[in-house]
Amino acid sequence: MCPSSADIPFTPAVAGRPRQFLARVGGWTKARWCSIRYLAAVLGTTLILGSQPRRWRRTVRSVFARQVFLSGVESVGFVFIVAVLVGISVVVQLDVWTAKLGQSRTLGQLLVMVVARELGPLFANFVLIVRGGSAITAELGIMKAGGEVRVLEAQGIEPLLYLVMPRVLGMVVSAFCLTVIFVLVAFGSGFVFGAFIGQTNVDPSSLLNSVFKAVHPFDGLGFLLKCLLPALLTAVICCTEGLCVGQGVTEVPRAVKRALAKSLGALFATSAVVSVLSYL
Amino acid sequence: MTLPHSVLKISGLTIESGPQFETGLTDVSLELNRSELLLVHIERENERLPLADAAEGLVMPQRGCVLFLGEDWQAMSVDHAAAQRGKMGRLFDDEGWIGDLEVDENVMLAQRHHTRRSDGEILEEALGLARLFGLPGLPRGRPGSVRRWDLRKAAFLRAFLGQPAFIILEQPVRGVYADLMTPLLHAVQSARQRGAAVLWTVTDPQIWNNPAIHATTRARMFGSQLEIVPEAL
Repeated sequence: MCPSSADIPFTPAVAGRPRQFLARVGGWTKARWCSIRYLAAVLGTTLILGSQPRRWRRTVRSVFARQVFLSGVESVGFVFIVAVLVGISVVVQLDVWTAKLGQSRTLGQLLVMVVARELGPLFANFVLIVRGGSAITAELGIMKAGGEVRVLEAQGIEPLLYLVMPRVLGMVVSAFCLTVIFVLVAFGSGFVFGAFIGQTNVDPSSLLNSVFKAVHPFDGLGFLLKCLLPALLTAVICCTEGLCVGQGVTEVPRAVKRALAKSLGALFATSAVVSVLSYL
Repeated sequence: MTLPHSVLKISGLTIESGPQFETGLTDVSLELNRSELLLVHIERENERLPLADAAEGLVMPQRGCVLFLGEDWQAMSVDHAAAQRGKMGRLFDDEGWIGDLEVDENVMLAQRHHTRRSDGEILEEALGLARLFGLPGLPRGRPGSVRRWDLRKAAFLRAFLGQPAFIILEQPVRGVYADLMTPLLHAVQSARQRGAAVLWTVTDPQIWNNPAIHATTRARMFGSQLEIVPEAL
């Protein structure tokens, strides 16, 4: 069991303020470290289970399909709208400004960098956190508080296998598909809108050409890391927060709040780390 | 499948009461062999006991051990323990439905998870049990939207589905005695004839004394202690 910073015994006043401060910092660090180790253990176990075909029983496959539908398919419309808006605002602007600066040749590279590598994974994962992550935490929290997890265990159905693994992998598949949809729609809508208002300076084939020329194998890796890692972390965080709910349903809203905050933190942190690493 | 003679063996089991249970268990020992039925009378003020959970290896004992089909729960791997629990049928005291699944999916969930039987085969067996318990078919809809009466009957189907080696019935006829006692006794009798062991808990002394149940052993809970009644009534 991981200690929280609240579990660290209060240092007596005689010990002095610096020691109290150090004790609190130490307690907080220890609790965070335990929490990260726990998440890593759940994530590792989930990936190992997911890689074993015999674990994919029909009940698990049903949950996986349902998760892809709920977090992926049902989010397509929303992602489509966001991508159209982003396409209009970002792609058109990049198109206009690169033309004004006489740098139209760099448009493809900029689009890959800004939309495909940064905005696409970020927005798609953001949508997933809000729509899929919160739902997972609430659902599992209610199941835990209502004794349904115990019912599953009593029937020999492991919660990690039946509840966590298909949800995590369903979120990952959804994240990948939503990101691809986002990028394609943003490119398309940006170009169409630019053409509509007469601002597009390149024809579609040369735009596509410049985009494909700007893509390096390393971009593919960065794209995958940026869209899959946050989805993995979000799903694991949301599942563990949901399953950490105690006996009361009133704990569920707090668990959802914690899960969303942690997931957003993980999204921006992984995004920043992968970006930094890709430029090193 | 040939079952070992001893289905459940509990030796010197001690479990402290926690927030989940109204009382714990102190030095409980019992053995349940194939085709046997243990009828346990529990006190109304201590209804929530860890006895069924302990039999399923779901609670860690402070002392003692629980052997299911000759194997200690504590010595089993997580996978093996889950597979062994798949050989059990249980009627939960609080019925225990997964709110996100329809009732028919709930009923067939364990069989679909643990076996490679086709859905049609499982459904056929479930429909046979449904007829036995007076249901025209498997109830459809989420548990929250199905009548309580039908839910109780569906809980019986789930407990007996898949010919389990060990069946736990937690107060099965509470509030539904008159209508369900006969089909329940029939289902229990059939299960015992094919070798299943049954653990049945009751709070009503009238049911505990009912000779139609044909219990092999009767026992009483006094607080956290179990007392085996020497002779069948």
